[in-house]
Amino acid sequence: MSEVLFSCWNGKVVDNRAKEADTLESPAHISLPANFFNGKDIKAFMGWGGFVIKDSGISIVNLCVAFLEKVQQESCGQCTPCRIGTKIMLEIMRGIAEGRGREEDLADIISIGEFVRKASKCTIGQTSPTPVIDAITYLREEFEAAIASKNSLTKDDTSRYIGKVTAPCINACPSHLNIPQYVEDIKHGRFLDSLQVIRENTCLPGVLGRVCVRPCELSCRRANADEAIAIKHLKRFVADFESDRHITPKIPRSTSRKDKKVGIIGAGPAGITCAYYLAKKGYQVTVFERFGEPGGMSAMGIPDYRLPRSVLRREVEIVQSLGVEIRYNTLVGRDITMKKIKDEFDAVFIAVGAQGSSSMRIEGEDAGYKGYIPGVKYLLDINQGRDPYPEGKKVVVVGGGNVAIDCVRSSFRVGKEDVNLVYRRTRKEMPADDIEVKDAEEEGVKFHFLCNPTRIIAENGKVTGVELIRMELGEPDESGRRRPVPVEGSQFIIDTDILVPAIGQAIDLSFLDADTQLEVTRRNTIVVDPETMMTSEEGIFSAGDCVTGPGALVAAAGGGRTAALRMHEYLSGKPVKRSDGELMEDFFSAIGVYDPAEDLGIIGGGQRKHLKMMPPEERKSSFAEVESGFSVSEAMIEADRCLRCYRIGVVAL
Amino acid sequence: MEPQNIININGIDYSFTPGETILEVATRNDIYIPTLCYLKGMSPTGVCRICLVEVEGVKTLLASCSTQATPGMVVKTDTPAVINARRMNIELLLASGDHNCLARSLDAGLWTDFQLDALDIEEHRDLCPAYGDCRLQDLAILYRVKPDHVVPVNPKYDVEDVNPFIVRDFSRCILCGRCVQVCNEIQVNKVISFGYRGATSKIITRGDRALKDSDCVFCGECLQVCPVGALMPKQDMALRTPVNEMKKVRTTCSYCGVGCQIYLHVKDNRIERVTGVEGTSPNLGSLCVKGRFGYDFVAHPERLTTPLIKKDGEFHEATWDEALDLVAKRMNDIKRDFGPDSIGLFTSARITNEENYLAQKFIRAVIGTNNIDHCARL
Repeated sequence: MSEVLFSCWNGKVVDNRAKEADTLESPAHISLPANFFNGKDIKAFMGWGGFVIKDSGISIVNLCVAFLEKVQQESCGQCTPCRIGTKIMLEIMRGIAEGRGREEDLADIISIGEFVRKASKCTIGQTSPTPVIDAITYLREEFEAAIASKNSLTKDDTSRYIGKVTAPCINACPSHLNIPQYVEDIKHGRFLDSLQVIRENTCLPGVLGRVCVRPCELSCRRANADEAIAIKHLKRFVADFESDRHITPKIPRSTSRKDKKVGIIGAGPAGITCAYYLAKKGYQVTVFERFGEPGGMSAMGIPDYRLPRSVLRREVEIVQSLGVEIRYNTLVGRDITMKKIKDEFDAVFIAVGAQGSSSMRIEGEDAGYKGYIPGVKYLLDINQGRDPYPEGKKVVVVGGGNVAIDCVRSSFRVGKEDVNLVYRRTRKEMPADDIEVKDAEEEGVKFHFLCNPTRIIAENGKVTGVELIRMELGEPDESGRRRPVPVEGSQFIIDTDILVPAIGQAIDLSFLDADTQLEVTRRNTIVVDPETMMTSEEGIFSAGDCVTGPGALVAAAGGGRTAALRMHEYLSGKPVKRSDGELMEDFFSAIGVYDPAEDLGIIGGGQRKHLKMMPPEERKSSFAEVESGFSVSEAMIEADRCLRCYRIGVVAL
Repeated sequence: MEPQNIININGIDYSFTPGETILEVATRNDIYIPTLCYLKGMSPTGVCRICLVEVEGVKTLLASCSTQATPGMVVKTDTPAVINARRMNIELLLASGDHNCLARSLDAGLWTDFQLDALDIEEHRDLCPAYGDCRLQDLAILYRVKPDHVVPVNPKYDVEDVNPFIVRDFSRCILCGRCVQVCNEIQVNKVISFGYRGATSKIITRGDRALKDSDCVFCGECLQVCPVGALMPKQDMALRTPVNEMKKVRTTCSYCGVGCQIYLHVKDNRIERVTGVEGTSPNLGSLCVKGRFGYDFVAHPERLTTPLIKKDGEFHEATWDEALDLVAKRMNDIKRDFGPDSIGLFTSARITNEENYLAQKFIRAVIGTNNIDHCARL
């Protein structure tokens, strides 16, 4: 990695310009990834916290012009300081760059910049003057030289500048929804506009508004002052606003129908999302789905009390309204061969998810005992309206993830009386959503922490119990969680009729025939080129759980959308590669957008709004949706808490 | 009241009701904070940033119109930082458009380039039509702002005067958003919104079309709240009567039975403009296109000022008694010769409910028919 010449980030300055090679400092608060942009090194970066210069050929004046141009492009134009102030800063700076600088220019930029920083409404205005002011403060001689020389600096500048706007929440979201924008639309009562913003990046607002694991809320700056914005609930609110009023959404789509055909395997979040964005571009899309119902894991793995099937069906109907054909009850490999799909379609997208269950590797697992039901299968049965094992009344579920929680909570709803959850670590380490764990506790699930199954006990081919061993937490493993270690001789037995392992999902690629041998990893995930989303076979793309391993719905949906973009490029003969915007978003992730330690300097205390829930006794026996959404006024008040933490960055290549 | 609901403004404690903004508490206690985009009763947008105040513990300045008071908040409304920010703000606003008014009071040598440029535009050769009735001008005078060193950033716009009612001059627009608020929140016509980005931002209709090609119904609500000369009544533009030369006469609109309260702005016994009376029922300042713009008939040369009776194919002037006698006689004749059902009465929204009631009573009880209808039913 080439060394930093000069950097100033959050006021911390590193100046290596006059230093010997062995005394160079590295900035502690920001590091730029090397060879980031298709192998090109970043020469300089200017963003919300300051700037970093690595290449001595970069003109700081031109960098400021490029940055301020981007600020003007992104300024929403409502508040005076940002709209006019940054424009005047830009014009003065451009004057300097073009050899028309005046002596008083620098003082003017600083005084206007300081005003913009202090008086603007949102963080575009509050952060954008900072790097420019810092640049003038620390590299004043370069600006003065530019003013004195009266020469144009822009003529010979061969650098390419790429600008991008993001926000902590946008950056954290795998689908990169423009969250501050849609939240602001809600605040102003423009609910359908808000939904349109959401649909730019996902076609599943009602689904994600209910079951998203919301990485955005974990990166919400408002939490530094009080509590994160209820982003998920707000998304659900606008989705429900539309569907409750039976409004047919207007989906902007390409007017030209393309003659290329795309086949998609799997109507889960990734497949449906990919279909939506390709259909919007005018492609003829056919989706093959093994079940009689769309949604994949989101339909079969998520119980109705969290995600009513009608919500999913409606969103899929909207996708179908764009001309997407879904062939239900069509299992690839059984009802249609992979070869036939490849012959029939110009491109194929594999989004089969991770529908198998991981094994616990304990004695008795493969014996085929009645009452031993893998988690995904258990949920699948319940979600199809069947009790997986009517005779069994006592259930033990093993695992700490969302599937395990869904299994225990669903158990009550099919009439199981004694519901237990076994997890080898403690509650703190549970990967499941904390709120759901709380809901499960309220509903009366018995938790057995620091235990792990060692043996299944069965009589006459039926499960009668499970032997557990006590665990204790040792050293942290690669995931950062402390590794559970068995305590010798601490085995004990719990009686049970049903044992549900829900310790992980596996990927089943048995539908691939001899003709299609895709490269897979050790974990049986499909290998794709992250740049093109293409598998080892030309024209076959893949995303979602079958590529990443079991993950969040929003990540699979995001993968489906990215794959749609790449497939469009592939089918229209354009270079198949990540766009500048996507690369910039990755770059922002690498340098970090959210700083949990930042002192916002605002007065907090605004309470986050919560959804009303059915009381535990009532909800535990019902598949009706547990939470009811925001009212109009609740949504608007909640949306008003958003700080619009937009951040702008420009790199020079 | 909760004892902790106390906010300190400029060193004095004031109580507040939860939900009240700093501006509301200040205004209630006679502390002056200038405003521009703020509209009473609307959800505050906080975009103009004129009402900024300093709040202890907050890094930036806060818009008092959109910041709710919280217990223990310490606010200062007139520190040097606040005053300087307001002055800079006004300076930027002046530099962002063709605001030539302040040049009027200066020697020609002190006029700035952009003020001279503004005078070169055909529509701006004359004084701004809002002169003397402009909040930006008031604030510039109050804060003694002279836009003498800021580079102007005014994008050029053509004046839109293709409709008969409203002249839109975006080179004078300061994007306070008041027009957007009233269009969306009071009239709920939802015709205009903020469009584009950065310094090219503009108040636009859907597709940035002219008002006449949009869903606009020309109620003129936007016109009434525009604090500057960006939106002007077209009839008014032609006359350009300075505000201080017009007399305001309060009256009731005669177009329908609602009874909207209006001001007629009168000069030399001629109506030059109509505005709604704010803060008074039933219309609270709002008007419709007829009430606001339909006043030229009053002084129209073709207006009938006396009844006419047709004799031998020609109209002759008559007195009211003659006219009414004739109508009564003819109606009696028709009723006698052809029966009451040969007469029908058509009433108008321009009369009150009570008068409409009397009209149906008249046709039923006096004439003896049910043939009555009303224009609002069509």
